[in-house]
Amino acid sequence: MKLLERILKYQIVTSLCVLTLGAVLFYFSVDYLIDREVNKELMRSKAKVSWQLRHINELPVYILQLGDSLQLDQVRYPGQMALVERKLFNEFENEYQPYRQLIFYERVEGAWYRVTISKLLAQRQQLLEAVVMTVTFIVALLLISLLLLNSWLSRRLWRPFYKTLRALDSYQVEKHEVLTFPKQHTVEFEQLNQSVTHFTDRLAATYQNLKEFTENASHEIQTPLAVILSKIEGLFQDESLKESQLVALSEISEAANRLAKLNQALLLLTKIENRQFLAGTEPISLVPIINRKLRDLEDLIEQRGITVKTAIEPTGPVMHPALAEVLVNNLLTNAIRYNVNGGTIDIALNAGKLVVRNTGAPIHIDPELMFERFRKEGTHSASLGLGLALAKTICQVNGQTLTYETDGPWHILTVTW
Amino acid sequence: MKLLLIEDEKALATSIQNYFQRENFICEWAADYRTAVEKINIYRYDCVLVDLMLPDGDGLDAVRELKRNFPETGIIIISAKNSLDDRITGLNLGSDDYLTKPFHLSELNARVQAVIRRRSFQGSQQIRFGKIQIDPQEHLVLVDQQEIVLTRKEYDLLVYLIANKNRVLTKESIAEHLWGDDADLMDNFDFIYTHIKNLRKKLMDKGCPDYLKSIYGVGYKFSEQ
Repeated sequence: MKLLERILKYQIVTSLCVLTLGAVLFYFSVDYLIDREVNKELMRSKAKVSWQLRHINELPVYILQLGDSLQLDQVRYPGQMALVERKLFNEFENEYQPYRQLIFYERVEGAWYRVTISKLLAQRQQLLEAVVMTVTFIVALLLISLLLLNSWLSRRLWRPFYKTLRALDSYQVEKHEVLTFPKQHTVEFEQLNQSVTHFTDRLAATYQNLKEFTENASHEIQTPLAVILSKIEGLFQDESLKESQLVALSEISEAANRLAKLNQALLLLTKIENRQFLAGTEPISLVPIINRKLRDLEDLIEQRGITVKTAIEPTGPVMHPALAEVLVNNLLTNAIRYNVNGGTIDIALNAGKLVVRNTGAPIHIDPELMFERFRKEGTHSASLGLGLALAKTICQVNGQTLTYETDGPWHILTVTW
Repeated sequence: MKLLLIEDEKALATSIQNYFQRENFICEWAADYRTAVEKINIYRYDCVLVDLMLPDGDGLDAVRELKRNFPETGIIIISAKNSLDDRITGLNLGSDDYLTKPFHLSELNARVQAVIRRRSFQGSQQIRFGKIQIDPQEHLVLVDQQEIVLTRKEYDLLVYLIANKNRVLTKESIAEHLWGDDADLMDNFDFIYTHIKNLRKKLMDKGCPDYLKSIYGVGYKFSEQ
C-alpha cells in the first residue's frame, strides 16, 4: 500500500469517526433545544388558556400558536398535569403525525375541565433530516477533497521521491554509474538524493578499484608465468635429464600452462565487465564468425563423430567484433566439449536469435547455474569452467540475453537480442 | 640471423636468448627503451622482438622508429597486454606478428622463422630438412621431389616441427600451435598423436626416414639422428 494511501486511510477513518460523533452531538443538542422550546411554548399556552378560562366572559385574545390545537373535556375529578407525546391523525395531511400534548385540569364555574394542548412536532423530523443531509454532504466533500489533494500531492510533491526510487531500481553497479539528481526544494528528498549520490559514488569507486586490482594482478601474473614456462622449455632441451625428471617437468609445464590460460580467461572476463570493449555501433553478422570457427574446429568435430547442422541467416546483434568472436567461440566449443561421441550440434541463426543445441549427458543441477564461474558438471579436467560465464557476461554487457535449457538429451543455449 | 630482443624481464630474456643461440641465431638484448633505440640505429637486425611495456617508454614507439628507419626488419610484438587495441595498433604500425605472454619459446621460434622467411628473397623462402622440401607460398611439400598431400593441420604441424628441429616439443605447445585457444578442448593429447601418426606415415610412405622421435611423458622431437 502506498504511503499516501495509508495516510488517506487513517484520514478517512478519523474524519468518519469525528463526523459521526459530531452529527450525534449536534442532533442531541439541537433536539434538546427544540424540546425545551416546545415545552416552554406549551407552558406559555397553558398560562394563557388558564387565564382565559378564568375570564370566560371576555373575548379571547390570541392564545395558541398556529398549528396547535386546544381541547376541553369536562371531567369529574382533576388529575395530574402531564406532558405526553403521541401520534395523532392529521386530517389535512391525511397521516399520523407526532404531537406533544400538555394535559392539565382547570376549574371553570364549578366544573372541572381537562385541557389538552397539542403541539405538532414536525420540525424535529425535519431537523433530523437536515442534520443527516448536512453531515453526509460534509463527509462526501471532505473525502473528495482528500482524494484530490492526495493525487495532486503524489503527482507534485512526491514526484522526486518516485524518480529517485526508479533510478535506484534500475541501478547496476557493473555500469559504474553514479546517480545524480537535480536539486529539490523538499529537505527530506534533497537529503535522500544526496545520500543516494554519495552512496552510489562510493559503490562505483569501490567496484572500480576492485576491478582494476583484479586486472592489474592478472597482468602482473603474466610475466612470472612467462618466465616459468620459458625456463621449463629450456630445461626440456637438456639431454642429461632422466625420464622421471622429464615427466615431472612435463606435469609442471601442464599446470603452469593451465594457470596461464585461467589467468587469461579471468583477465578477459574482468575486461569485459570493466567495459573496456566499446559497444558496437552496428549489427555484426555472425555468419562469417560461425563458419570460420566451424572450419577451425573441423577436425575436432570429425574426430568425435559429431554431426553439425546449420540454418543460418546473415544477421547478428550490435556488438564489438572481438566480443562476438569470443561469444560464438565459447558457445561452439562448449557444444563440442560437452557433446557425446557421435552426437549432434544444431546451430540456428535468425533475426534476433542464435540457438546452439547439442546432445550431451544430462546435468543434475539447474541449467542456469552453469553460468556461474568455475561451475563444471562432470570431470572435464581440461575445461577452465569459465566459458559459459564469459558468454553470459558478454551478453549482459551488451544487453543480450543468454539462456540455458535442457530438453531430454538436448542442451539448448539461446542468445536473443 | 641476427635478432634484437627488447624485454625488461631479465629471466625471460635469458631464456629467449639461450633458445635462439641453440638455433645459431645471434640474439642481442636491450632491457630498456633507450638501449633499444640505440641498438636499432647502430646495427641491422633480421627481426626485432619488442615488449610493449618498458620501464622508460612504450614499445610501440620503438616499432615506429624501426619502421621509419629500417622497414625491411621483421617485428614481433611480445606483450603481457592482450588488449585488442594494442594488437591492432601494433599490426597497423607494421609489426609482423603479435604474441601474448606467456608463450611457448617454440612458438616464438616458429613465428620468428616465418617472419624472416617472408621477408627474405624468393630463393631462401624454401624450407628444407633432410629429404623434405617445403614451398610455404604454395603450401607444397616434396620428399625426394615427390609431392605429398597433407591436410592443413598436418602441414602446419610439419612446418612447426621443422622450425623447432632438434628440440623437445611439448604436447601442449603443439596443441596450442595447431588449435590456439581451442587446445583445451582436447581432454587428452591422443588427438595430437593421431595427427603425428598420420604425418609420420605419409612421410615414410614416400621414403622419408623416421625423423619423429617420441619423448616419453613430454612430447616429440624432430631430428635427423
